[in-house]
Amino acid sequence: MQSKSKLAGALLGAALWLAAAAPAAGAAGLTPRQILDHVDDLFRGKSSQGLMTMTVVTKHWQRTLTMQWWSKGKDRSLVRILAPKKEAGTATLRVGNNVWNYLPKVKRVIKLPSSMMSGSWMGSHFTNDDLVKESRMADDYTFKITFQGVRDGREIIEITCRPKPDAAVVWGQVRVVVQAGDYLPLFMRYFDEDLHPARTMYFTNVGDLGGRRLPRTMKMVPQDKPGEYTLVTYQKMRFDLELADSVFSLRSLRD
Amino acid sequence: MNTLRVAWRNLWRNRRRTLVTLAAVSVCTLILTVIYCLMEGLMVGAVANTTNLSLGEVQVYAKGYRHDRSFYKALKDPGAILAAASAAGVGAAPRSYSFGLAALGAKSSGARLWGIDPAAERAAFDLYRHVAQGRFLGDRPEKAVVLGYKLAKSLEARVGSTLVVVVQAADGSLGNDLFKVVGILKSCGAAIDRNAALVHRADFAELLVSGGRIHEVALNSRGRMPLEKLRALAAAAAPGQEVTTWRVIMPAASDMLNVWDSMMWLFGLVFILAAALGLMNTMLMATFERIREFGIIRALGATTWRILADVTGEAMILSLLGTGLGALLGLAVSQYLVVHGLDMSSLAGSYSVGGLTFDPVWRATLSLRSFLEPVLLMFGVCLLASIYPAILAARLDPVRAINRV
Repeated sequence: MQSKSKLAGALLGAALWLAAAAPAAGAAGLTPRQILDHVDDLFRGKSSQGLMTMTVVTKHWQRTLTMQWWSKGKDRSLVRILAPKKEAGTATLRVGNNVWNYLPKVKRVIKLPSSMMSGSWMGSHFTNDDLVKESRMADDYTFKITFQGVRDGREIIEITCRPKPDAAVVWGQVRVVVQAGDYLPLFMRYFDEDLHPARTMYFTNVGDLGGRRLPRTMKMVPQDKPGEYTLVTYQKMRFDLELADSVFSLRSLRD
Repeated sequence: MNTLRVAWRNLWRNRRRTLVTLAAVSVCTLILTVIYCLMEGLMVGAVANTTNLSLGEVQVYAKGYRHDRSFYKALKDPGAILAAASAAGVGAAPRSYSFGLAALGAKSSGARLWGIDPAAERAAFDLYRHVAQGRFLGDRPEKAVVLGYKLAKSLEARVGSTLVVVVQAADGSLGNDLFKVVGILKSCGAAIDRNAALVHRADFAELLVSGGRIHEVALNSRGRMPLEKLRALAAAAAPGQEVTTWRVIMPAASDMLNVWDSMMWLFGLVFILAAALGLMNTMLMATFERIREFGIIRALGATTWRILADVTGEAMILSLLGTGLGALLGLAVSQYLVVHGLDMSSLAGSYSVGGLTFDPVWRATLSLRSFLEPVLLMFGVCLLASIYPAILAARLDPVRAINRV
């Protein structure tokens, strides 16, 4: 009698294990790691260049910036504001973990102190840290698929990522939701260390960008500031073009 | 009058004992008054150092500003508060605050910008006198900045350096401009040292497109107006806004002063008890020595009251002389300490504990509270201490007292 129930228990356990393992196996070939890498690599290339608009809406003001950017590899980028006129020429250069801003009004380059890396970038709801982040989600987090199926009429895969103990990450958890099939991200929700939602980035407006099929609009919505958001829309984008290293120098920052 | 004359004569029947008691009471009074005056000086000085520098005794903020320091939570009608303060003859300074980035060459650091009215600061506060190098801001806007000394150090800024200041302006744009360093402050407490960058309010308004937002009005009567009265004055002028006092802003310092106050009471109690018990001992001895005498005058028709008056009269003279002499000496020593103080600089320079800054020279303060109160208390308790021996003497049975050898 006893041995029978043991056997039944083992069988039940095996069945549950199979059931739990099934979604991962059913993700049409891509493992969770591959999905995360896919999301990370969407906008990456050997190099890229493009034009975007950023609209920041806060309780007290709203404004739209038009910006041009260049990037090379994982760790070099340059962003320059084209409009509005008051701030045209203001530029941000990132090389590795260093960030410099050029201020045309005073014709000075200033280096951002590390204490301000978690501060807002150009008044938006993105932080300077978001800008310099180059490590892959799959390296910084442990992850697993926590939902797969139809939610809100869409077939999705939800991956929940928890930071590895030694990862330099400010979030307590990140939930990445991608569309099943093409694995394009739908949204990423960031949780603070108490696992309360802190902010959500939505990806919409999928279309052609530089020859890739990408979400062309990203909307960052902070949880603690109702009504506020930052909307980034890519107008033009080119991937894998030839860019000289000198583009990412303090000298070119001033131009 | 007769009673007192008799008491006086009786006192000097045992000259040595009376002198010793007198000395004990006066030394206790002396020590008590000097220490009270010194401690009062320490506390008044620490409070003044804290509030006169820039904090103020009372501060007014928009509701919720102290919680999140949001740039957009500005005072509704700062003019009314300034007018009320001016009408009451109290100093008041309007200030605007914003966080920003200060950069010099390859160095940069976060800074807290203070948009101040230099003339008002000069009139109400002492910050302008704490400039280590250079000078304080002038009364007209001149794109000048005065830095906290640690901020200056981390930027490697000197008087004459040109800083880039970058802020998130009120309209969302990236406000940035050049400011010339005209002064570097002395050590003024952690909050100012580490990140204060003082600029003229007009320059501040231009940089931040702030439209003259004022975040704080600090009021300072320099101790002339009781805290509660000043608070009420500010509250009346700023309905619906948050009025705080330095005790709220610096709870640790406030608690520390309260603890000291209680400790001083305990300390005073010990001294007063010691003096009073000494006096009681003397009076008991004097009474026991004269049991026969008391018996005889009772037999001759002296009332209980007469004997009570005799004994308490002696105690009164003794307490009066003792505390009087002690008070005179205490007054002299305290006055010396008010003028010259104790130089503590060899032990510690200017030091701060719990947010209170203490001067290197420890000066006493003479006030009703620090001088007259302990003296009167000493006198009163000594008088009380004589009641027990007086009652003993008054209740003597004449026959048994006379027969006692």
